[in-house]
Amino acid sequence: MDTLLALAKWVLPLVYLALAIDYGATFILRVRTHARNPGVVVAIVLHAAVLIARGVRLGGAPVDTVAEVLSLVAVSSAVVYWAIESFTRDRRAGVFVFLLVFLCQYTASLLLAAGRGPGHAGPGWLHIVPACLAYTAMGFAALYAGLYLLGQRNLKQHRVGLLFDRLPALERLGAMCWGALLVGLVFMTVSIVTGAMMYSRGTAGGGIEAKVTAKIIIGSIAWLTCAAGVLGRRLAKWSLVRVAVVAVIGFVVVVAYLVTSIVMS
Amino acid sequence: MDLSVIGINHHTAPVEVRERFALAGEPGEQFLRAVHRESVFDEALVLDTCNRTEVYFVSRSDRDALEYILSHVARLKDAAPPTDTSVFYHHDGPAAARHLFRVAGALDSQIVGEHEVLGQVRAAYRQAVQARTAGFLMNKLLHAALRTGKRVRSETDLGRGSASVAQAAVDLAGQVFTDLADKTVLLIGAGQTAETAARRLIAPGVGRMIVANRTLERAERLAEALAAGQGDDIDEDQARCPAMPADPRDQADAPAPARQAIRARAIDLGGIGEAIVEADLVICSTGSPEPVLTMQSLAGPIRRRSGLLLIVDIAVPRDVEAELGDLPNVFLYNMNDLDRVVARNIERRREEIPRAEAIVDHEVEQFVTWYDSRQAAATIALLQRRFDMLRQAQITRYGGKFADGARDQLDPFTKGLCSKMLHGPIVFLKALAAEASTGDQLAAVDTIRRMFDLDELEEDDA
Repeated sequence: MDTLLALAKWVLPLVYLALAIDYGATFILRVRTHARNPGVVVAIVLHAAVLIARGVRLGGAPVDTVAEVLSLVAVSSAVVYWAIESFTRDRRAGVFVFLLVFLCQYTASLLLAAGRGPGHAGPGWLHIVPACLAYTAMGFAALYAGLYLLGQRNLKQHRVGLLFDRLPALERLGAMCWGALLVGLVFMTVSIVTGAMMYSRGTAGGGIEAKVTAKIIIGSIAWLTCAAGVLGRRLAKWSLVRVAVVAVIGFVVVVAYLVTSIVMS
Repeated sequence: MDLSVIGINHHTAPVEVRERFALAGEPGEQFLRAVHRESVFDEALVLDTCNRTEVYFVSRSDRDALEYILSHVARLKDAAPPTDTSVFYHHDGPAAARHLFRVAGALDSQIVGEHEVLGQVRAAYRQAVQARTAGFLMNKLLHAALRTGKRVRSETDLGRGSASVAQAAVDLAGQVFTDLADKTVLLIGAGQTAETAARRLIAPGVGRMIVANRTLERAERLAEALAAGQGDDIDEDQARCPAMPADPRDQADAPAPARQAIRARAIDLGGIGEAIVEADLVICSTGSPEPVLTMQSLAGPIRRRSGLLLIVDIAVPRDVEAELGDLPNVFLYNMNDLDRVVARNIERRREEIPRAEAIVDHEVEQFVTWYDSRQAAATIALLQRRFDMLRQAQITRYGGKFADGARDQLDPFTKGLCSKMLHGPIVFLKALAAEASTGDQLAAVDTIRRMFDLDELEEDDA
């Protein structure tokens, strides 16, 4: 079991890299732009099997360390993307997604190899899993927002260069960004509620106030970003440009704060 | 190779000359029936499009094919045969195959990469099959040509990107909007250009159309025609060649859209302010010397919108003030921009030509290799080798069971036996090569090769 898990640590990033290359070919050569990719399902199933095996090995859900969280973010990104691709039948943004997924999983594997994890969280998974999904959704929202802003600028300036007619339609990118923010809002709300319940019961690993404070700040920024984007569009008729800018800025702030917290911890 | 092609196209002659030799429809069928009836050629096929008329034929005869074709066409047209034949080209053997493969791959078209020619080649093949002038060689040739066309289309970007202004406008709409079915198009102007663009949008399935024109009556007429899916008056060129659009570059894009009924209504120019709040895509093509859409009249209504707005101004002089393009969520494209898109696409198509030519080269090589392998001499040699291999194998297997003296006789005995057995088939093949038509020879050789697995033997040698 340990040998297989050690092997899987490096196989998983390679699988995601292969997917990124495949989607890169779709983007550059504009082939199979509207065909589903069965490789994504294979990667998800493989990754899920590894996570389950790790959980069995540890005796609990492997979601406590940064390495495991990054791995969870990678697989949940793949799942979310697979759902989007199944619904929209549009593969053209896949290269950007799987490059990020590869980076997430590769970082996770490096951290695992450096001995920083795994560990398991006990009942903490009720808080951590929705949080992972929420940050994943925020990541997607920021990705689609970035592509939206890029596409919008190119169309506004009549640029007919490399990206012209390679990206999905602008309207679709905007809808995907807003949809991802909505998913992020739902999961972040669940995560905040469960986190607050755990903290009030003293099950959050009490005594680590700085860590909890950092999580509260990051979570709040994330929640506010998602809420602003979702409600701004729905209620205040915000333009998609404004929603995209909020999504990108919010994600950048969250990542910057997260990285700073990790470095200083 | 007994294959040849004689033809005339847009490279060699203008349309006024080409149309005198057109063999579209019934004249083409009559020509093929005459070929079949008179046994002029062993096999024949007529490819007639707006840009070319070509006759592909298989013949061993010394007859002057060009003279026959021109005289027959003259009879069909009830006119005198032409005296100037310099506008016709004539290719033989592999060059004829290469020409057809290039035509099918849209490399010889007026706009490289156009989409219609492959269907036209297929239709010509069907016509020849029905007229019974497509034999073994023509079948093989046309299958290879259609395969070449499909490969060029799928393995290169030769046919990708719009090559006409109308299609470029539609493609732009696809860059902005996911699905046009729930979108509203505001058409300002009811002239030919605006209508062409409107009809191109119907094909992808635009849901609603508002037609605005200075003259309400004309707008209503166009709106009714669009709603009912009716055709308008076609010009002379289209009457002569139904597949040819007004702008030849339109042929380079998807085929003319099937007419569909949509929801369309008419307004006069005064109603544009309200209509633009509802519209997602605006196409302007009036003959007005002054802008019809101005910042002063439309900035307010546009700012009240929440969605994206694409304005395509295909009028010259422009109908739309440039400042409107600076408004948030508004994308404004005029003829210069669309021409740049089209020029870029045509340039990208040209960059794909070497890759497409490489595919043609490969397919020609395959076809010639196949043809050479189906020649009687090559097949006879392989047949002899196959029998010799079987003979040797049997000697090796059973030779030990014979006494020394008898064993020495096995080799000359088996050689003689094989020679006698092969005598009949070899004489048959030589007679085919000398007397039969190319198609019959190829068909018979093909059968023998399959019967004795000679292709496998040849592959092992390779």
